Amino acid sequence: MIITNNLTKQFGDFTAVDNLSLSVKEGEILCLLGANGAGKSTTINMLLGFLKPTSGAATINGLDVVKNELKTKEFITYIPENLMLYPTLTAIENLDYFSGIAGKKLSTETLIGFLREAGLQEDAFQKRISTFSKGMRQKVGIALALAKDTKVLLLDEPTSGLDPKASNEFGELLQKLKNKGVAVLMATHDLFRAKEVATHIGIMKNGKLRQQFVAEDISLPQLEKAYLDTMNHLEVMS
Amino acid sequence: MILKTFFKESKELLRDGRVRAAFAIVIILLGIAVWISARQYQNTNEQYLVAEAAEREVWDNQGEKNPHSASHYGTYAFKPKYPLSLMDQGVDKYMGASIFLESHKRNEAQFSAAADQTGLARFGDLTPDFILLFIIPLLIILLGYNSFTKEREMGTLTLLKSQGVRPWKWAVGKWLSLFFPIFMVTAILFLIAGILLSNLQDFGVFKWGSLLAMFIVYVGYYIIFINIILFISAKVEKSGIALVLSLSVWILACLAAPKAASNLAETKHPFPTRQEFAANISKDKQEGLNGHNPWSKESKLLEQKVLAEHGVDSIHQLPFNFDGYRMQKGEEHEAEIYFKHYNYLKEQYAQQSDVYKGLAVISPYLPTRFLSMAIAQTDYGTHWDFSDAAEEYRIATQKFLNDDFAQNSTYGDWSYQADSDFWKKLPQFEYEPPQLGSIIRSNASSIWILGVWIVLSFSIFLLTTKTI
Amino acid sequence: MFRYNFIYELKLLLRSRWIQLLSILLLLLFGFSTINGKSKVVKREVDISVAKQEVEETDKAMLKLLDSVEQGLEVSVPSWTIPSSPMAVGNYHPRVAAMDPQPMAFISTGQADLFTHYIKPTVSGDDFALNFTEMTSPVQLLFGSFDLAFVIVYLLPLLIIAFTYNVLSSEKEQGSLRLLASQPISLRKWVFQKLMLRFFWLSLLVTLSLVVVILVAGVQPLQWSGILILLGLALCYMLFWFALAFLVNIFVDSSAKNAVSLIMLWVVFVLLMPSVLNQVGNTLYPIPSRTLMINEMREHKAEATKRQDEILDNFLRDHPEYAINDSTQSRNFYHRYMASQKVVKEELKPIVDAYETQLQKQQSWAQKLQWISPTIVVQESLSQLAGTSTADYGNYRKQVMAFAGQWRAYLTTFLYNNTPFSQKDYLSLPQFNYQAAKSNSVFTSMLVLLLIAILLIGFGFAVQGKTQQKGILSN
Repeated sequence: MIITNNLTKQFGDFTAVDNLSLSVKEGEILCLLGANGAGKSTTINMLLGFLKPTSGAATINGLDVVKNELKTKEFITYIPENLMLYPTLTAIENLDYFSGIAGKKLSTETLIGFLREAGLQEDAFQKRISTFSKGMRQKVGIALALAKDTKVLLLDEPTSGLDPKASNEFGELLQKLKNKGVAVLMATHDLFRAKEVATHIGIMKNGKLRQQFVAEDISLPQLEKAYLDTMNHLEVMS
Repeated sequence: MILKTFFKESKELLRDGRVRAAFAIVIILLGIAVWISARQYQNTNEQYLVAEAAEREVWDNQGEKNPHSASHYGTYAFKPKYPLSLMDQGVDKYMGASIFLESHKRNEAQFSAAADQTGLARFGDLTPDFILLFIIPLLIILLGYNSFTKEREMGTLTLLKSQGVRPWKWAVGKWLSLFFPIFMVTAILFLIAGILLSNLQDFGVFKWGSLLAMFIVYVGYYIIFINIILFISAKVEKSGIALVLSLSVWILACLAAPKAASNLAETKHPFPTRQEFAANISKDKQEGLNGHNPWSKESKLLEQKVLAEHGVDSIHQLPFNFDGYRMQKGEEHEAEIYFKHYNYLKEQYAQQSDVYKGLAVISPYLPTRFLSMAIAQTDYGTHWDFSDAAEEYRIATQKFLNDDFAQNSTYGDWSYQADSDFWKKLPQFEYEPPQLGSIIRSNASSIWILGVWIVLSFSIFLLTTKTI
Repeated sequence: MFRYNFIYELKLLLRSRWIQLLSILLLLLFGFSTINGKSKVVKREVDISVAKQEVEETDKAMLKLLDSVEQGLEVSVPSWTIPSSPMAVGNYHPRVAAMDPQPMAFISTGQADLFTHYIKPTVSGDDFALNFTEMTSPVQLLFGSFDLAFVIVYLLPLLIIAFTYNVLSSEKEQGSLRLLASQPISLRKWVFQKLMLRFFWLSLLVTLSLVVVILVAGVQPLQWSGILILLGLALCYMLFWFALAFLVNIFVDSSAKNAVSLIMLWVVFVLLMPSVLNQVGNTLYPIPSRTLMINEMREHKAEATKRQDEILDNFLRDHPEYAINDSTQSRNFYHRYMASQKVVKEELKPIVDAYETQLQKQQSWAQKLQWISPTIVVQESLSQLAGTSTADYGNYRKQVMAFAGQWRAYLTTFLYNNTPFSQKDYLSLPQFNYQAAKSNSVFTSMLVLLLIAILLIGFGFAVQGKTQQKGILSN
């Protein structure tokens, strides 16, 4: 469960995130759409404690992300835009290491189970990550979310650079996690994938959440029109 | 193209805060080093002048005395500091600056500064040569290690290649942009040193020619480093690796190789210990003529020979004091023994030098070091030259004293005393250090090695840039 | 987190071949430097034993001569070298005053290349003329020796720098940092653990390779305590560099900048600080001029030689025991000479003392300054451990001077009593035994190094680093 309350981040005079209030409940996928610099990544960085909010607050599972930074990270799995792992370690070893330092001691069999569940092909388990494509690395990331029994999944442009098949597979994985009751916040430019996977869609501009839809209530063309309208809208009129 | 690259690179360097800081630090260090060295130089030379005058006064005012007693009382030869020691102190710290000149014995220079200092002194001093030899190559590394790798990392390399750039022109531009600031720093330092030195006219003879020669040696040294660093940067993929490799070269050339060379040289061609050396000499001395021992076999032989030459049958009939004559002959014989043993030291050192030259293959530092010291007249060779001159003076002094003894007294008259004015007739000790021309001739091999390094490293660098 | 870091750090180090590379490098460096050190020690031992053997042989000849003289036989050597004369013994049969190498002498050349390790003081000549410096090519002194101390003090920090400069920054550059930072761990702790693990592995490699090298080179049994101290010092010094690496890792960001910063620190600590401190010491407490000292001594000596006869009379007035014991009352050259030597020595004492005190001041100042730079501390401690530090040679010099006095006093008693030296006196000739100074400042040094390292690490934890601010985590 992710809740932000009037979350604001300023860099000098520039306001990157402006009084943002949103919530993502268990089993929901919120896709944040918006141009570069709209404040999507900044929001995620604040949820992760990488950036301290200028004002406002955010909670993960009811815990404040500033006051309980380490505790909240136990619930979170974060998959950055270009997920990189240790190139000289194998998929299992990477998964073991990251879940290990997060405090989960798991047997190799269990880890293999998670990799399988994340859809990584069997022959890749023992291969070094240096040979992996982005899609394969993301599957390891999802396996990490499974291993950590994660409550919150934060995704930053997960589908950029993926081929359509890999992107589709990724969408299916998200559905699985959603069904497990994970709250997912995903920042993306990909309107099509957002419409496919999201339960809720928000459009951000200049750090503000301009529009919010329930995904079922809107068709893809409508979404695209709404997006373009928001982008073209003059600041004074909003 | 060459100029464009040069200006672009120079601009990049100039805009980098770290580069500016590094330059500032090097220049401040150089300033301090030159200032301190100049002060020490002046101090030492003032002391030298005082000591030399005082010693001469002591000698001149001995009063009435037997010449041979005076020869035992002896005198000192002091080694002055030469102007360019301001730039390179060389081995001065490890050599004594005063030689005691007495009869029967050739002494070594005494009281090296290093022996009076703590272990701290063995780390090295903050002198211009330290900065010229160690720190500026380091500066070259900091400025140049990413010259090519950054183009790869930022991705500008592909863009540049697509422009149809001639690689060698591009490389020469980069080379110039690295060479220019280093050249300027060095040139300014040498110019300041030159102006400083030409204003200290009381001491020694400063020659711009020698300073220029030294400057050229250092510029050559830096050219080699620039070539190596840029070669590494062009060959390697990542900046980090280029930096580590360049530093390894620096450590190997400037720190490890000289030390390893010194160990090898010592194991292969060791010097005798001081005690061994003294023992060998006294063994040789025992076998020959001793001026103080009229009963030895050699003395008797000499006696017979001299008597025969003069056609008399008693040494009392000789026109001179035979004691004095024998003293002089003994002196000459001992001088030969010393000559032989000191020559052995020189030979050992010559062979050690060959070891150093051999290792110059992996270290351009070594020939530079030797050339710089030689031009500054602070190397071992100059010290030998001084010590030989002092020995020559010692022999001449002994002859002067013994001749007086032999001419002005009769055999067996040990109570003879020379006038108190007599001592002033002894000529002063004058020493002229070797001139630039002869220094260059005797260090020709180092110059060749340095030249080969420059040519080889530059061609290898240019060849690799073809394949970037 | 520790368990996982422990397992995977080893895996990563093995797979990136760091462990293998370091092992080879360490073995090579330690091996070469130990061989160098050992060969120097062996040469020193051989030189001393040759000198001692020579004395033994001439002693045999001397005893034979004494035997002949005592039996009233004619001997065929110059009269002034017949050993029944105490001055002949004192001048032609000096003892070897040797400074035997300490068990750990091979680790640091220290001042060993500068000073001589045995000396044969005679009764004539003054102590001042004893030359304690060794005949070494000055070029060799200038370049120094590739010994274990050099490897530890100069090269080991560079290996550490190469091994640690990018612990955090490489995560950023290869892109795994953001994933790592999203885990419920403190990055500072994580960096700290990684570095301590690397410290652990490097320590292990250093210890192993050093022990292997020393075993191959051959150790004397009681040397192990020395080796433990050597290891202790090396590890404390390494910890200091790891602490610096920790700070640089958390305060600076990119790998290249880290490397440059650490190299700068190395240059400052290893190259600049010692030479600057040395220069400051020389400027504040200049080494008094030996040249001027020579001048002064010459003047005093000239005075004394003029008054030799007068001096002898005074001397005998001060030492009536000689006048009473001696029935013959015959006085020759040596009586006058030894008496005037004594006076000259006493007259020169103030000059020599003044010089020595000023030198002492300069040296003790340098000694105090060493604490500013861990590098100097370690170099000094290693030299102390090896028994080759300036203090050790000062100590040796003092002992030799004392011995020279003893030697002279023992034989001049014979001289002034006008009693001949005989075979039975041979056994009571003074012998020199070098007593190495015990110093426990090595432990102080280790403590200080540890303290500095802990302070640096504490500073790293106490002060907000860049990792905590923007920059490293958000683009």
